[in-house]
Amino acid sequence: MKHLLLFGLGGLLLGGVIHIAAILLVPDFATRDAWTSLGRLGPDGAFHLLPANAPGTKPLTDLDPAMAHAACRFTLEEGPIRIRATMPEEFWSLAVFDRRGSNVYSLNDRTAERSDIDLVIATPLQMAKLRENPLAALDRAIVIELPLERGFVLIRAFVANPTLAPATEAALGAADCQASLTAPGNGSGTTGP
Amino acid sequence: MRLLINLLVAIAIALIVGLGSAWLVLDRERIFGAVTRGAWTAWPELGSPNADPYSRAELARSGALPLGDGEGIAFIADTDDSGAALTARCSYLISGQTPAARLWTLTVTDKNGSLFETPAHRSGFHAREILRREDGSFVIALAGDPQSGNWLPVTGSGPLRLTLRLYDTPLTSSGIGEATLPAIARRSCR
Repeated sequence: MKHLLLFGLGGLLLGGVIHIAAILLVPDFATRDAWTSLGRLGPDGAFHLLPANAPGTKPLTDLDPAMAHAACRFTLEEGPIRIRATMPEEFWSLAVFDRRGSNVYSLNDRTAERSDIDLVIATPLQMAKLRENPLAALDRAIVIELPLERGFVLIRAFVANPTLAPATEAALGAADCQASLTAPGNGSGTTGP
Repeated sequence: MRLLINLLVAIAIALIVGLGSAWLVLDRERIFGAVTRGAWTAWPELGSPNADPYSRAELARSGALPLGDGEGIAFIADTDDSGAALTARCSYLISGQTPAARLWTLTVTDKNGSLFETPAHRSGFHAREILRREDGSFVIALAGDPQSGNWLPVTGSGPLRLTLRLYDTPLTSSGIGEATLPAIARRSCR
């Protein structure tokens, strides 16, 4: 009997270890996480409109029905990526998430101080190379350094009333997730090498 | 033989306790990092890389796309100011002001985040369309029957959830502090 109690206690301790391991491993094995859900929308490397949160549908996630959303899964393995979009003159915000769905960078139209999106995401190594050989075309781009291999970008654009939804969705649909690094930026007046 | 039985008992206890407790914790509402002001609760750390492992696991299971610091913050209310659960059987007055933000939206959903199909085709209000009183405050009537002014319609008789999203707000950098959120008062029930 004493032995059984001792083993029971050992089982409880081991249970604690299993609890911690399970919690830490959940993000790696989740099948409904944001990365996996967004992968069902279409191929990586391009923006896809997220289905609007409408009555009677099961929302993909807890998205604001007053916003239009587009997301793009990207990889930095083949070099930095550049995201460009011409946005309507309304509130928009952009967030970069890592593979596990953690928000690693975000900005909105006011912090970006412009209405169009021109964002370059690079790993620290790619960033060092960009600093050595700066590209004139990126003069006006926002260049951010993130230690990621894969991740996704989500753009939220405010739709003040339903009649504006088609224009906003068209702008989001035309967003480019793999823009050329050497294409000239808007208004910079310079050309790439 | 005794040893084998004891070992099996220990392993069974370990699995049940370990996996069971993990499942129980994750199946509940987010419990860590909540900041509550009145009936409203926000999870400012949710989705940030510094979030605790429980929040991260919960995030992966829900597939949520939380607002980043540069975007804004979301508050959720499942109860009125007295602590009673919000239900479509009752009507409520949501009144007051929102904390400073360039834009805010208020949405009513069921507990799963699904919108209601209503004849008025309205599932929320945002800062640009709401009718305000002279001092800038507003009153929203959350009810099944048509109301004058800002009417937020609901249908059915199930539990409700209100989500107030503040976009481009100083709360994300300075902390929620003493922010005052709209009051939610119950009027009548059927």
